[in-house]
Amino acid sequence: MLTDQTIFTTTAALLIFLGIFAMSYSRNLLKTIISFQVVVFGANLALFASGLGSSSSIMANTLVLFSIVVGGSVEAVGLALIVLVHKRYGTLDPWKMRRLKH
Amino acid sequence: MSGEIALLLSAALLVTVLTALFSRSMSITLISMFYASLVVGVIFTLYQGILLGLLHIITFAGAVSVMLLTVVLMTGETDLTIGKRPLAALLSAVTILVVGAASYSLFSTIPTGVTQTPTMSILEFVWTFRPWDLLILVIIFAGAMTAVVNLLSKEESSC
Repeated sequence: MLTDQTIFTTTAALLIFLGIFAMSYSRNLLKTIISFQVVVFGANLALFASGLGSSSSIMANTLVLFSIVVGGSVEAVGLALIVLVHKRYGTLDPWKMRRLKH
Repeated sequence: MSGEIALLLSAALLVTVLTALFSRSMSITLISMFYASLVVGVIFTLYQGILLGLLHIITFAGAVSVMLLTVVLMTGETDLTIGKRPLAALLSAVTILVVGAASYSLFSTIPTGVTQTPTMSILEFVWTFRPWDLLILVIIFAGAMTAVVNLLSKEESSC
């Protein structure tokens, strides 16, 4: 039976794995932040889907609320760190940054 | 009917996210992430999470998109090439197939999946929300913004 919960949970799992995959393969810190945003989308969707059609929907909504706030805050701090890293090293490529460090 | 809506929204979300992750152009990536944020907000709103949907759209399609655009303009970095592109495309295709099949086979056997009727009653949360929740949100946002300002001001003073 293809319910809404199944569809959204499958989509959430795909988003989380795609985000982690792109995060590990990206050579730009901005792309890493965007991939983290995709992971946050997947986590929010999975939490929301876990409360669909059950009595624990209020708990799931509360968890999604805090996940949105924490995700937005972490992205803001990450973007500020990216600006500082670009000022210091002049690049956003982690491989080049590692070579410049030594 | 609601299953078709869920399928359409999920397909739109996956297409926008894939476009954002595997595009070489920064502008296409930012626009795709904006639309992905909107689609997630619409999913929340249609399935009786109206406050969540609005907050998601305000946070990610509004604030985070503007912050990403600002950082792109400040750094001037527009090259989003993934390290080994053919290998990345192959691995992403395998990942999509494996995760999709595994998730469907895992979650389609759960008997608690009851179809929930979508609703379009917008702004229902206005008379049902609790002010303490919003106060906690404002405190957490203020803390994060303070940390950002602190980081930037320390860099300025050290120069």
